[in-house]
Formats: sequence, structure tokens, C-alpha cells
Amino acid sequence: MARLWSKVTFWRVVAAATLAAGAYATVVRFVMGLGASSNMSDGFPWGIWIGFDILVGVGLAAGGFTITATVHLLDLERYRPIVRPTVLTAFLGYLLAIAGLLFDLGRPDRVWHPMFWWNPHSVMFEIGWCVMLYTTVLALEFSPMILEPLGYRKPLRVIHLFTVPLVLAGVMLSTLHQSSLGSLFLIFPGKLHAFWYSLWLPVLFFLSAVAAGLSMVILESFLSARAFGRRLELPLLEGLARVVVVVLTLYLVVRFQDLGSRSALDGFALTTGEEQLFALEVFFGSFLPMILLSLPPVRRDRTGLFCSALLVVLGFVLNRLNTAVTGREGTMDTVYFPTWMEFAVTASLVCAGFIAFALAARYLNVFTEEPARSDHRFQEPRGKIGARIGQLALTTFGVAIVVAALKLKTPAVAAVAPVPAEPVATKRSALTLPPDLTFPAGKDSPGVVKFKHRSHVSAGRPDCAVCHAGSFPMMKTVQGIASAGSDRMHGADRCGGCHDGKRAFAYKEYCEACHTPRPKTAAPSATARGTGR
Amino acid sequence: MSLAILTDLTRCVGCRGCVLACKEINELPAGSTERLSSLTWTALERRAGLNVRRQCMHCVEPACASVCPVGALKKLPSGPVVYNERLCMGCRYCMAACPFRVPKYEWDKQLPRVRKCVMCYDKRLKNGKPPACTTACPTQATVFGNRDDLIREARSRIRAGNGRYVDRVFGLEEAGGTSVLYLSSVPFDKLGFPTAVDREPYPLLTWKVLSKIPDFVGVWSVVLLGVWWIVSRRMELERHGEGEHPGADRRGSGRWQRSGSSG
Repeated sequence: MARLWSKVTFWRVVAAATLAAGAYATVVRFVMGLGASSNMSDGFPWGIWIGFDILVGVGLAAGGFTITATVHLLDLERYRPIVRPTVLTAFLGYLLAIAGLLFDLGRPDRVWHPMFWWNPHSVMFEIGWCVMLYTTVLALEFSPMILEPLGYRKPLRVIHLFTVPLVLAGVMLSTLHQSSLGSLFLIFPGKLHAFWYSLWLPVLFFLSAVAAGLSMVILESFLSARAFGRRLELPLLEGLARVVVVVLTLYLVVRFQDLGSRSALDGFALTTGEEQLFALEVFFGSFLPMILLSLPPVRRDRTGLFCSALLVVLGFVLNRLNTAVTGREGTMDTVYFPTWMEFAVTASLVCAGFIAFALAARYLNVFTEEPARSDHRFQEPRGKIGARIGQLALTTFGVAIVVAALKLKTPAVAAVAPVPAEPVATKRSALTLPPDLTFPAGKDSPGVVKFKHRSHVSAGRPDCAVCHAGSFPMMKTVQGIASAGSDRMHGADRCGGCHDGKRAFAYKEYCEACHTPRPKTAAPSATARGTGR
Repeated sequence: MSLAILTDLTRCVGCRGCVLACKEINELPAGSTERLSSLTWTALERRAGLNVRRQCMHCVEPACASVCPVGALKKLPSGPVVYNERLCMGCRYCMAACPFRVPKYEWDKQLPRVRKCVMCYDKRLKNGKPPACTTACPTQATVFGNRDDLIREARSRIRAGNGRYVDRVFGLEEAGGTSVLYLSSVPFDKLGFPTAVDREPYPLLTWKVLSKIPDFVGVWSVVLLGVWWIVSRRMELERHGEGEHPGADRRGSGRWQRSGSSG
């Protein structure tokens, strides 16, 4: 029992609670539907399941193709120790993005449809194929980690033979879909705020994914060092940090060049919610880490490096959420804020990712070198200038996000005063009313009923809905309606509804007011059809 | 020949016959007639003293059909944009992309569908009958016909109206042209029409990027293969210089095996 209790740690309790909430939300989502579980609506059809689970999940996994390319194409052997954990992270990232997609799709049972029904004009079709193929590539790149402990030699040899082609395919597919995730939004002109809508979206999405993917590799190395007592490859991570600086610089140049050319920043005053979010994202998420990581004291310090990489990742998350959700709030008819169930599903997926990584690190061949448990425990350095700067930057970002979130009140839905509808005066002659109708006579009826639209429609304010919304369907024949019988026809939902002696003369008063008496010899000829024109 | 609908808002008396006819023919349950929803494919909004009939604009080059990853939405040469609910996987990209915000979703259903006006294609158009809404209109405020004829008719009404109409046929160029056209006596932006929509067809925005993919794949593969070849060749020469002679089979003992050893 004591042993069992020793396994209960703070994070395990948090994880269990998150997964429990996620399980509940999952049941609601798949049994009751999207409306019951999310706040998405006709006015806001995409929420955080697209904005976070898919855009962020796929983007942060970009470390996978960059690191494999670094080692296998550029032959930079010293990065080899981080290839496997990075591939694992990427593989999990894609699996979780696909899981998120299953939650988001209205018909998850048809997720395979793009394989057989093609529309090459659709960006989403292209992304679907790339993600499908790249997940396969990642699965193959991941497979040695599972095949080695099992001792399957033959498949291992085959996989090893295909390492370079797989890496090449991975780079190609990743370049395509990381940028295409940005192209998704190209068709939203006027529906996405000018800070985020840009014709350069594909390039910006690709560059930011590379920067964030590499930062994620840095973070992931820190976390594994902490969790599994791994040695921290600090010089190696420092090398990655330099690349992040270059990519972030390139990203900011393209971004501001584009914003400037569209004059999107004219009159920037930091007053609107969009301006604040944009400033947060660009300053703390790109500019600041670019500066910090270019300073050797910060880059070479554990805490400084960790905090800067975290800034890049958080800035990336903010950018994707701004593009998919907050940047669209201003132009949509409705306000969107996720339900707790949407949050629970997203948090559960993240949680599942951590658990899967921990399990894989424990049971599979992820870390190929010896664990250096005792010597290289993660140590918190104190008082170093680089660490202080990094911590300060991260804390400021955190505070700024909280302040912005508190200030970002739900935008008041512009209360449109209902315009009183002026009655459109119409001359009766201007109305082309349907022809007169003859309801056939039943057995006990005094005779056919000739109905004239002319005497039933108010010329000043005609309203078809008075009768046609109920039991006089327009597209049905007169016979069909009359076949209900005289009780029904005289009833409250048909003629009797108005002919009750109050709104119009009562039907009981005088049958011949409506019924034409039967001719004595000829059979009633009822041929009129409704409006079956 | 492309078919279209022309709605002259000055002639509409707000009887809601079109809304009811639509609900009837498409077997939609009663519900609000004033806002488009999954249950109301044409709605009658009252704005600025006019009755404004809303419906799918049936764009000549529709954004919804271009973004649909499985081609569930299609523009037919005869005019309507139709929906195949058996293909739809529910990504809702059509709803996000539509410049007129027309497609609606069955959010409360377990197996939801996208819902919108299909110009009565299956129910009437296919059999040579005009859409239900246009037959129900008692004032010919909304009429059905050949798109070119309707444009001519709309222009002649504007000319003959002596200032009665705003000089604009909405749908002539909006989003690259639509198969639903409007005439109004009040500027369209006051009626809630998205007057700022691009004049260019929306699918071009993404096609400009997508169409470059084949070229990009070609160039990028050459670059990647080139880099790999140069780098691995250099490494091999380096190793050669160090005296590590690769065996007779260059590939066998060269980079293939090395990358395999700890891949």
C-alpha cells in the first residue's frame, strides 16, 4: 500500500484528472455531437481543435524532419544522439494531431475519404495526403526503436537500407504540408485580421514551424534530462539555438516586409485586442528569443536556453491560435470561446503525448547511449546572468499574456437595432396570385369549395406564411389536402382556424358561402391541382 | 447554358412564400424564417425597410467546392452548387471559406451534414422544373432563368427605373460572379451584403499556390538530392584521405551502411 502511495505524485494526479475530464468530453462529443461538446457554431465553424490540436501539433513536430535531415543529409554526426527522441516526439505529435482531427471532423468515420475521392484544388486534400504519407514515414523511422528490443533483424535491415530515401521523403512532405497549413487560410480574405492574413502565409508557416520545431527539440531534451536522468547535450542544443536565431530572423524579415508592404501596421497603437495579441506574439514569441539566443551568455546557460526555447514555442502556439481563432473573432458574426470540454480534449491529448513519450523512453530503444543517472542530474544554476535574463523574459511573457487575456473581454456583439419593416404598399393587381383552386367535394359534402387567393390575401401586407406554414402545403395538390375529410377541413388548423366567427365568418353559419351546391346530374369535376407548376 | 435566379428586392412584399416553398420541397421542419440555418435554406431578413431574401449565391467559381477535400460540393455547368452528403467528412472548410457565409451545419446531430440551398437540383431542376422558391413568388420578385438573360433584364430594369434602383447588380462580379443576382433600391452594404468581397474568384487564391507544387517538388528534390550527394561524396573523400578505404562496393561500405548502423 505504501508503495502504491509513493507512486502518487502531483503531476500524476493532474494527468489522471485531465484524462478523466477528457474521457467524459469524448463520450459527449461522440454520442451527442459537436454542438453539445463545443462552442463552435455556424458563425464560427473552426475552434481550438483545429487551431491547437492540428496546427500546433503538426507544427511543433517539425523538429522531426529538420533533425533527421541534419544528420542524414548534411552528415552532421554530432546531432545523432537526439535523432531518436526527436523522431519519437514528431511521430507522437502527428498521431495526436490525427486524434484531434477525429474529434473535430463531423464524420470521423469518413476520415479516409480523401484517399478515394480526390479534389486536387483543395489545400486540405493536399495536407491530408502529405500528413498521411509523412506519418507513415515517421512510423518507419520510429520502427527501429520498437524492432530492436524485440530483436527482429530482417525488418531492421530493410528499414536501414531505406533510411536516406525516407529522410528525403520526410523533408519533401514536411516542406509541403507545413507551408500548406498556412495556405489553408489564403481563401479567408476579409475574414482574418490583416496582422495574420497574408499571401506569404505558406512561407511564414514553414519558417515558424522550423523555428518552433527546433525549440521543441531543445525543450524535449531538457524534459527528458529531468525525467530520465539523461545527460544534457548542451553544446549540441546550443548549435540548434543558433539555427533558431537564423530562422527567426528570416521569419521576422519576411513577416515585417509583408506587413509593411500592405501598410497593415499603420496607426498601430496597442489598444485593440488584436494589436495586443500581435505584439505579444511577435515581440515575446519571435523577437525577444531571437535576441536572447544570439547572446552567448544566455544561449550557453541551461535556464537561459530553456526559457528562450519556451518563448519560441509559446509564441508559436499564440501565432497559430491567432491565425485560426482570435484573428477571426473580429470579422465573424458570433463570438467563440471554447467549452471546458474542448479544453479537456485538447489537454488530454497533450497529456497522452507526455505519457506515451515516457513509456516509450522506458521500454523502447529511444536513447541509444548509456543513461548517466547520478553524475549529470539536471541542476538548477543560480545567479547566472544568462539564467536571470531568460527567466525574466519568460515571466514577463507569462504576465503579459495573463494581462492581455484579462483585458480581452468578449467583444461586444454589435447590437444591431432592428429596423422596423415598413409595410410595402402593393397594389392588388401587382400580385400574381396563384389561380383559384377547387377543393373536390367529399361524399357528405354540400359541394365543391372554390378557393380564391384574391379574397384571402391582404394586398397591403401579403403573408403566405399565415396559411402555408401550417396545413396548406404549397407543393401539395388540392386533392391531397381535401382527402383529409370534412372534419379536418373544418378543423382549427385548416379553414376553421380563421372561419370561427371571430376572425372571419364562421363556417357553420352558411355552407354556400364556400361550397358550391352540387349540380343535380353531372359528377363533380375536380381537376385543379395546387401550385404544381 | 447556365441557370440563375434574379431577386429584385424592390418587388418583394415579404410574404415568405419562397421560404415556405423551400421548406416544403426540401422537407425541412418549421423554424425561424428570418435567418439562414440548417433548417432554413432561404430566409427573409427585414433590413432598411426592405425584405431581403437570402440563399446560397451559387458562385460561378465557388470557394466551397474548391476547398472541399473530397469534392462533396460541386458546381454543375447548369448553375447550381450541389452537395453529396455521402462523401462529406465534416471538415467544415466550406463553411469557413464561403465569402457569403452560407453553408450551415447540423451541430446537434451525431452524424451531421452541411446544409444549404442546392437550387432544387434533385427535386425539380433535374426534371426541367424551376426552383420551388421562384414558382412560389406571387410578385415575380424572384425569377429563374438563363444567367445572361437575367443580367440583361436586371440592367434594363436599372435603366428604366430612373433612379429607383442602386446602379449595381449584386452577383455580377462579386466573388468572380454568382448565379444568384440581386437588384435593390438601397445600397447593398446597408442590407448586410458582404460588399467588400473580392472581384476575383476565390479558388484562385489557393490555386495560385497549389498549382506551383509540382514544379516545387521537382526543384526541391533536385536540391535535396544534390545536397545529399555532395555531402556524402565529400565525407567519403575525407574518409579516403584518412586511409579508410571503402571496399569494392562503394555503396555497401559507404554511407548506406553507416546510416543504417544507428539510424
